[in-house]
Amino acid sequence: MQTDDLISLMTASHRPVDTGWLKRATWIAALATLAATVALVLLTLGQRPDLGSAWMTLPVVAKALLGASVATIALVLFQRSLRPGLKPARLLPLVAIPVLLVAAGAVLTLAQAPAEQWSALVFGRYWRACLIAVPLYALCPLVVLLIVARSGAPMNGRLTGACAGLASAGLAAVAYSVHCPDDTVPFLATWYTLAIMIVTGLGALAFPRLIRW
Amino acid sequence: MSLAELETQLRPVFLAALAGDAAAYRLFLDTISARLRGYLRQMLLRVGRSEASEAEDVLQETLLALHISRHTYDPASPVTAWAHAIARYKLVDHLRRSGRHAANLPLDDEVYQLAAPDGAAPDARLDLESAMQALPERTRVLIDRVKIQGASIAEAANAEGMTETAAKVAIHRGLKAMARFLTKRGTRPT
Repeated sequence: MQTDDLISLMTASHRPVDTGWLKRATWIAALATLAATVALVLLTLGQRPDLGSAWMTLPVVAKALLGASVATIALVLFQRSLRPGLKPARLLPLVAIPVLLVAAGAVLTLAQAPAEQWSALVFGRYWRACLIAVPLYALCPLVVLLIVARSGAPMNGRLTGACAGLASAGLAAVAYSVHCPDDTVPFLATWYTLAIMIVTGLGALAFPRLIRW
Repeated sequence: MSLAELETQLRPVFLAALAGDAAAYRLFLDTISARLRGYLRQMLLRVGRSEASEAEDVLQETLLALHISRHTYDPASPVTAWAHAIARYKLVDHLRRSGRHAANLPLDDEVYQLAAPDGAAPDARLDLESAMQALPERTRVLIDRVKIQGASIAEAANAEGMTETAAKVAIHRGLKAMARFLTKRGTRPT
């Protein structure tokens, strides 16, 4: 086939194009999977017994804020990584800001506490549960973002995957915070951050093969 | 024409095309394909491939990808950078498939800056033909009517007893299927 023929075909079947679709799809996917993941946490683990009185306290708000801010930044980059010609990788370090803020808070907390309490502050009661639950719940948004990614034109599968992983882990962290009974900042800084890193790595590893186009 | 001039000229044309203007779309595709042809030829020359038909194959694959990915264009960004990124992706993919490591590809921003437009289209090899063989019979006939006989969509649709919209959708699906076929050829050398 001649290139000219191909251009004729493409022109002939051309229709108006909606360039805002990817952005809307990304945000709708994020909100829908957040709702689904919260429902899943409530159904499988149940809410923390004191959720009614605890949800306004700083540690619980911090958990949700950490997850939400990581997810928001990652989703913006994710959406841009599906558009050729943009260079969203430069903005990736922004994700470190909320993580570093929480880490600073953790160091501050530990510095003010006697050394014999450090282990309790970091490990809490259920650090294993957090490390397993957040990545597992993150699979729900991750799969949906994979579908969104396949409808875009990702230039760098690893970057798209890492952003999707960050966003999914952030959303899962928000959802898990309605159950998680451990309320110390060092706990949050250690296990939530580690869980987010696990899902980010998973996304970066799994996506490149799955979103080739 | 410098890249900046091309951008100034092409951006409003492409925005009009996105709004549904078919003539603007045609102008955009003609202009950008001449530019990309020059770019792809030079890049392939750099890795020791001088056959014009090979560059034409990559160009056709790039054009298909541009067409199918129109919705990924960010209206606030340069359209030439968008097209270049897609062409580069398809070029790297092509080289990888034909057994050459993309890491050896020299930095190419400069080549794209300077690439002279090349309006003369040589024959492509058979990539797109084989992709077409994978299409359903009806879509293929429709495409042949528009492509070879130069029929308008309305005429072709009429001849096939379809509505014009249905014909547009069928051709669009056909182009999508062809692009998918080309992507899925795998890593065997072609």
